Amino acid sequence: MTAALLERTIALIGAIVVAVTACVQLKDDWKASGLDAVITKLLLGLMAFGCVLALLAALNVVGVH
Amino acid sequence: MKSIEMQAVEARYNDVDAVYHETRDLRLLGFVFFLISDCILFSSFIFAYVYLRTSAPTWPPFVDGHQLPWFDTSYAALNSVVLFGSGVTMHYALENWKHLNRQAFYAWLVATIILGLAFLGGQAHEWTGVLQAGVTWPGSTMGASFFTLTGLHGFHVFIGVCYLTILGIQAHKGVYTGSKYFGLTAGTLYWHFVDVIWVALFFLFYLW
Repeated sequence: MTAALLERTIALIGAIVVAVTACVQLKDDWKASGLDAVITKLLLGLMAFGCVLALLAALNVVGVH
Repeated sequence: MKSIEMQAVEARYNDVDAVYHETRDLRLLGFVFFLISDCILFSSFIFAYVYLRTSAPTWPPFVDGHQLPWFDTSYAALNSVVLFGSGVTMHYALENWKHLNRQAFYAWLVATIILGLAFLGGQAHEWTGVLQAGVTWPGSTMGASFFTLTGLHGFHVFIGVCYLTILGIQAHKGVYTGSKYFGLTAGTLYWHFVDVIWVALFFLFYLW
């Protein structure tokens, strides 16, 4: 196994775990109100999107030059 | 009739004084304005990078007759997951504080700090590799953009690690309670913000 493949494998597993956890946290906080709750939900959503990007990069779907 | 445990929990929550209650929203608004100003700072550098990149005849640019290499996407994906993971652990830390579970709060906070430091170590390793590949700060627009933006972000992560460490010490000394924990909320927002900025940088430097 090459270093790049190992990195992609760990990134893939990690991205799935983190994305699912972020979505669960987002779901739990969905009904919370207040400025801090709204910003937290926005930032958690964007972070979950970042996990999807990392997942796609690990699968060589994006970032292939 | 409420149980003794329930009464104890309520007593720990009902400790908000009037001044704190009045100023919390103002302090939160001030902190949000700080995050917006930071967002504008990053945006200006990002737009400069986008302009430089789109106006260049080739990308990566040529330096001394050789085209510079692309950045390592697989390593960056791994390092990104480390940082995003720290966002999740910080969220759990705050939630455990809200639920008066102090031991779990400290465990998640320490996990966040460790992941933040791991990300910084990963960035240092990345910088070393990039420099060895011939991409330097003064040598090309690619290097200047990369080191400026990732350096600025890394500085924010470093400040965040220091910030979270101070918050942990303050929490240990009893500065925050079950109802008064604005510092922890602000720390969590800052850490999420740093995560989200990295989403943009990860896309711009490694995926675009």
